[in-house]
Amino acid sequence: MLQKADTNFGFAVGASLLIFFIGGILTTVVPPLIDKTWAKPFSNSDPAKGITGELKPYTEQELKGRAIYIREGCTYCHTQQTRTILADTKRSGWRGVDSPVSTPDEFVYDYPHLFGTKRTGPDLSRVGGKYDMQWHRTHFRNPRDLVPGSVMPPFPWIAANEEEFQAMVAYLQTLGRAKNWRPDGDFEK
Amino acid sequence: MADANAQDRATEIQRVTGAEPVVHEDLTVKWFLLSSVAYFFIVGIIAIIIAAKFVWPELLSTVAMFTYGRMRPLHVNGMLFGWLLACDMGLIFYLVPRLCGVKIWSEKLGLATAALWNVIVLGAVVSLLMGWTSGLEYAELPLPLDVLVVVAWIMFGVNIFMTIATRRYQQMYVSIWYIMGTILWTAFVYLTGNFATLFATGVNQANLNWMYVHNAVGLIFTPAGLALAYYFIPRSSNLPLHSHKLSMIGFWSLAFVYVWTGAHHMLHGPISQWLQTIAIAFSVMLIIPVWAVVFNLFSTIKGHWHEMGENVPLKFLMSGVVFYLLTCFQGPMHSLRAVNAIVSKTDWIPGHAHMAVLGAFSFFAIAGTYYILPRIFRTPLHSQPLAQWSYWFFMSGGLGFFVTLWLGGFWQGWQWNNPAIPFIDTVIALGPVWLVRFFSGILMFAGIVCFAYNVLATALGEKKALEA
Ligand code: HEC
Repeated sequence: MLQKADTNFGFAVGASLLIFFIGGILTTVVPPLIDKTWAKPFSNSDPAKGITGELKPYTEQELKGRAIYIREGCTYCHTQQTRTILADTKRSGWRGVDSPVSTPDEFVYDYPHLFGTKRTGPDLSRVGGKYDMQWHRTHFRNPRDLVPGSVMPPFPWIAANEEEFQAMVAYLQTLGRAKNWRPDGDFEK
Repeated sequence: MADANAQDRATEIQRVTGAEPVVHEDLTVKWFLLSSVAYFFIVGIIAIIIAAKFVWPELLSTVAMFTYGRMRPLHVNGMLFGWLLACDMGLIFYLVPRLCGVKIWSEKLGLATAALWNVIVLGAVVSLLMGWTSGLEYAELPLPLDVLVVVAWIMFGVNIFMTIATRRYQQMYVSIWYIMGTILWTAFVYLTGNFATLFATGVNQANLNWMYVHNAVGLIFTPAGLALAYYFIPRSSNLPLHSHKLSMIGFWSLAFVYVWTGAHHMLHGPISQWLQTIAIAFSVMLIIPVWAVVFNLFSTIKGHWHEMGENVPLKFLMSGVVFYLLTCFQGPMHSLRAVNAIVSKTDWIPGHAHMAVLGAFSFFAIAGTYYILPRIFRTPLHSQPLAQWSYWFFMSGGLGFFVTLWLGGFWQGWQWNNPAIPFIDTVIALGPVWLVRFFSGILMFAGIVCFAYNVLATALGEKKALEA
């Protein structure tokens, strides 16, 4: 049958599109229809059903911080997903408590998504609440002042712009906090 | 007419039948080629800078425009769209008219496409350095530029399809199918990645994004690159293609299998397990189209491997096929959960990606460029030794780059899986790897310089040949 595609222009075009669309539609359009957690924000108030918490939409300031995160391309060095791998939950963890794995319902308000593909720096999916303002200020000015050997670039223009800096940190503090898995205000020094 | 040496037969037919011989002006080809090579050079400099930033993070770090996070997308987009896709398009403008035995449908439209493409690439440079980005990997260009890409792609598609529609020979050679596939699939893949994503958030958007990212490689650069390989390998070796049937199996299985695999970019991540499993199953199946193609191309050249020594295009082509095989063996392996848990998100991945885009597809494009240069400029290649040098620079730099990143990335993955090792120690451990990567980058850049100089000198040689 495919012999026909050799000589028949219309057939070749039709067949190659048809075959492409089968997989295309089944893997892009159909999954969100089947798995509702892709679109339903995380919310659970019953400890019997597992970890509690609620995903809240970003505030205007947090969105501004997020826009800076995108503008500076933090996502090329930092992922935002605690995967179903033991080491991930330990590395994202806090004082011996493993962090919960990331689930689709924690990212419903993310536009654009910032899952990332490369970890030149650590995963940031649970970094909210880990460091205080002062730590971030020093870190943005020069990461090597806090972490010798770091290859993170300095961002003096963020540290020097109070509005941008506040927005950036406000955003970072939201990361991973939809789930109540760690206390507030318990920063690492 | 099922072999790439059709052009010779076409001339033969014209001689016998007394039909007007087709004279190709190739203006569009020249414009695409020259601008793509210029971007190869410019973006090569950016590549070296970002490789250096891993070793000296303070380098150019106080200027917002030159921060790593802005230069990296410029490097990726510049290489993919400024260099590789533009060069592929130029070569397609060369081979389609020849395989069809007619002139290009509209040279004017072709030139307009080339001009628009340059506007897009320059727009991308400005916007990415300014930090105007959509934030979606590989789809960073802001919306107005995306719209221009669609316009340019339609102009390109119309021109190529009209040329194919008016062809003299009924049978379409494999390269023609791949080119038609590239044009059609790219249209939908690009729309998904750059427009459908506008209407989705979170995991849903990520799924569309990875469908695009994966298929940008699988259904844009792969078929375009294979179209070149299927044409230039038989042409530059003067051997007929081993098997027409095998090329069909390769083509149709590629068309079917590739598009299912996008979710393998989020293995272990926050995306439905069953979708991950589907992506893994189809990723493993990718071995079928790949092996069909590679077997076909190896068998074509069987018994003639020694001719690669003198023949620079053939050398690039066959090395490209080997890299293609290796990349496409790695891909399915990465998708296995156990392997993925080690290599995913590590420096292994850029090693893999560079073998695909540089080692395989850029090698095909470079080979095609070397092959057609003397033919479009009607003058011998400026320097054969320089071409050989470019090969060895690309090869040594490329191998240095791929192999160190695999070793380094694998090691990094093992370290990450031991949470007792503080993260920063895994960063410091990679220092030597990044240093070797930087020097490999310099070697690759030396390859670009030899190649670009040769192209330029040959193009200018045409003028001399005309004046003399
Ligand atoms: C070139 C890669 C790179 C880029 C770009 C980058 N980082 Fe980092 N980042 C690192 C590395 C490496 C570390 C680990 C060492 C350290 O703490 O400095 C790190 C650490 C961090 C940490 C501390 C994480 C923890 O759990 O200890 C935060 C927060 C952070 N980066 C935020 C950002 C933000 C926000 C941006 C964008 C403005 C950014 N990074 C851009 C590489 C990068």
